[in-house]
Amino acid sequence: MSDHALSAAQPRPRLPAIPGVAIVLVALALVFAAISPNFLSTGNLSNILVQSVILLLLAMPMTLIIMTEGLDLSMGAVLTLASLVLALTVVSTQSLVLGLAGAVGVGLAFGFVNGWLVSSLRIPPFVATLGTLGVAQGLALIVSDGQSVVGIPRFLRQVYSGETAGIPNPILIGAAFYALFHVLLYHTKFGVYIRALGGNRDALTLAGVKWQRMLVAVYMLGGAMAGVAALLLTARINAGHPTAAIGMEFDAIAAVALGGTSFERGNGWIFGTLLGVLTVGVLRNGLNLMAVPSSAQVAATGALVIVALFLDGLRSRKP
Amino acid sequence: MRAAVKSPPAPEVVEEKPDLGTPLLELKGISKQFPGVKALDDVSFAIWPGEVHMLLGENGAGKSSLMKCLCGAYQADTGAYFHMGEKVEIRTPTDAKKLGIAVIFQEFSLVPYLDVAQNIFLGREFKSKIPGLLDRRRLYAEAQKVLDRIGLEVDPRTKVHTLGVAQQQMVEIAKALSQDASILVMDEPTAALSDRETERLFAVMRQLQAKGTAIVYISHRMAEVFALGDRITVLRDGKNVGHAVPGETSPDQLVRMMVGRTVDMSYPRNFRAPGDVVLELKDISATTGIADINLVVRAGEIVGLCGLVGSGRTEVARAVFGADAITSGEVRVFGRIKQGGPDVAATEGIALIPESRKTEGLALIRTVSDNLAVAGLPKLFPNHLFSPGRARRSAEALIKRLRIATPSPNQSVGLLSGGNQQKVVIGKWLAAGARLFIFDEPTRGIDVGAKSEIFALIDQLVAEGAAVLMISSEQAEIVHVCDRAYVMRGRRIVGELSRSELSEENIVRMGMHDE
Repeated sequence: MSDHALSAAQPRPRLPAIPGVAIVLVALALVFAAISPNFLSTGNLSNILVQSVILLLLAMPMTLIIMTEGLDLSMGAVLTLASLVLALTVVSTQSLVLGLAGAVGVGLAFGFVNGWLVSSLRIPPFVATLGTLGVAQGLALIVSDGQSVVGIPRFLRQVYSGETAGIPNPILIGAAFYALFHVLLYHTKFGVYIRALGGNRDALTLAGVKWQRMLVAVYMLGGAMAGVAALLLTARINAGHPTAAIGMEFDAIAAVALGGTSFERGNGWIFGTLLGVLTVGVLRNGLNLMAVPSSAQVAATGALVIVALFLDGLRSRKP
Repeated sequence: MRAAVKSPPAPEVVEEKPDLGTPLLELKGISKQFPGVKALDDVSFAIWPGEVHMLLGENGAGKSSLMKCLCGAYQADTGAYFHMGEKVEIRTPTDAKKLGIAVIFQEFSLVPYLDVAQNIFLGREFKSKIPGLLDRRRLYAEAQKVLDRIGLEVDPRTKVHTLGVAQQQMVEIAKALSQDASILVMDEPTAALSDRETERLFAVMRQLQAKGTAIVYISHRMAEVFALGDRITVLRDGKNVGHAVPGETSPDQLVRMMVGRTVDMSYPRNFRAPGDVVLELKDISATTGIADINLVVRAGEIVGLCGLVGSGRTEVARAVFGADAITSGEVRVFGRIKQGGPDVAATEGIALIPESRKTEGLALIRTVSDNLAVAGLPKLFPNHLFSPGRARRSAEALIKRLRIATPSPNQSVGLLSGGNQQKVVIGKWLAAGARLFIFDEPTRGIDVGAKSEIFALIDQLVAEGAAVLMISSEQAEIVHVCDRAYVMRGRRIVGELSRSELSEENIVRMGMHDE
């Protein structure tokens, strides 16, 4: 008996922690650099970063949601609706603040509903957020009447295309939110409880933590971030469009999965998600340079997720 | 509290004790009902400062339920709690915490991807001076102090999922100790620990005792009961059956109190001379931790496999069935070395009737007929085409033969009684042509009347030449039904009892005694 306890107590040897996603990212970059001389130019690399920010803003809260063993399928549709609300508000009031408040408000409202369905009504996250996806998409068609919202003022476009101190605005916004999420996950109670929500909810209950509120807050954070992303999206496409961000949740979930965040037991990290987002960004950019149609790019993203998870699986499968 | 002992205790039980003053915590008349089971029935229990109170009982006697009521994880249906003589409520874990109650749980309450320190202080995080942030330096410093105290040499920044079972158990202990509780509840804390770690834990317990901490200690190890206990309470079938003091009782007396009942169950059994060896395990070890398992089951025999929950009984069954990988040794079935997984086992005539019949044994929303056909599909339909008529005729024959009480073969299995559901599981394997049956807790959740019917059926199986290996926590059943029995402890077989040696006392003694 004691022999067993002792042998079970031996710590596992530390595996060299190179995540599958980093290998995939470097490999992809090397391939594209070899095929297209343009790929490694400063302009193109900056482009990749700028174009990755919207996805990053969605993928980071998605990481936290997935760490609670949840999922938010409504993110793309909520982003679309928030973008339309923002465009309509800014066009009619010429106020960026009001527009952003409207977009974030829409996101928070949907996040609250998602969180409430999941934590209080105990509806599985997949089903609950599939339902709100439909609602958000429908509302987007209603408020826009199926039409694009045009006439976006210059100051809104500047948010995406402008620079501050020589650095493109989106990169600054992305960096700021990355720092925020890092602090949130590693230096606050909220971050600790997120891991516990996915890892062992009973432990929280026994510790006297009211975790239902935390769970609602995680989904509300996701909604709010969709509202922030709406600002960049609207500025980028210079319009509000009722199908602007359809399927964006797929890219976000793919980036999270690529990054090595597990769908079980509260195992996840924000840096991995950043790598996952960049990998998706590099793939899209490289395929664009090679003039591959966007439909094929979606398929390629899916294939990439499988490759990265396969690599992670190989490493965690011990002899 | 002495007066609250309602069940007639064994004569040796110490009834009166010197007055110790007001108990630190007293539970009076606690009852807790679950659907179909009365987990606790009018249990009273008191603890005084600085004592170690041992809680004894067989599996399912209500020890863990009582602990869960004590820490607010369950809410008692009836009964009252008194803290230093004052009536209090314990409805939630927070209520219990406020009274200074901390619990070391047997099933881990740890979060796998948080580190050791974060787990120890979960729900009691240290706030930094910067609002909203955590004081990580203080967290790791405090955690290190607790770890030093219990002598656990692990970096507090280690993620808990990378630790072994024993180390995780030590982290659980650290977590409870860090709460500076006045009442510490330990549910089999040493079950996963090595001797050295156990010693360390006992040393810490003595320190706590000296400081006036009351400790409630659940154990299955007699040696611990006598080495540590100041007072002993024995539970049986959810009832408080007596108190004792270690100096005035003996292991034999305690075992008798735990087993208690004058055995009035009689199951029909026709013993006969056994036939050929059907199942033979030679020096089996498996990834699940079982080691050096040797056992033999012959045709016409019912062989019991007993021991405490967690002693490795189910793991043996799974190894035979091929559900877990074997690391050494060999399994011989009908004289041939068995290889491969459960799919092969089924075709070789081995049937596993699992403990959780509703999740592993049956498809509840499907019909009786479907469930009866599912294991025997290759045998019933050799040309791979399903024929509803044939399935129904086979089902009707089995329903008649096993006397399954169902209005029709098309009834959903979920609507049948527990006993009849069990018959369907047995019937499904009969249809598959099984000749070696492994039963894991065959009478769990089955009412008394149906039990004897199930045993009659098992007797009929062996009469027809089948071999049966039966895992059961109900020692009375093993004693009455089995030809022989093996007793397990700590994932090994520690003894074999012949028909004449089979008694509940012998099983309990072998299953729980230290060396």
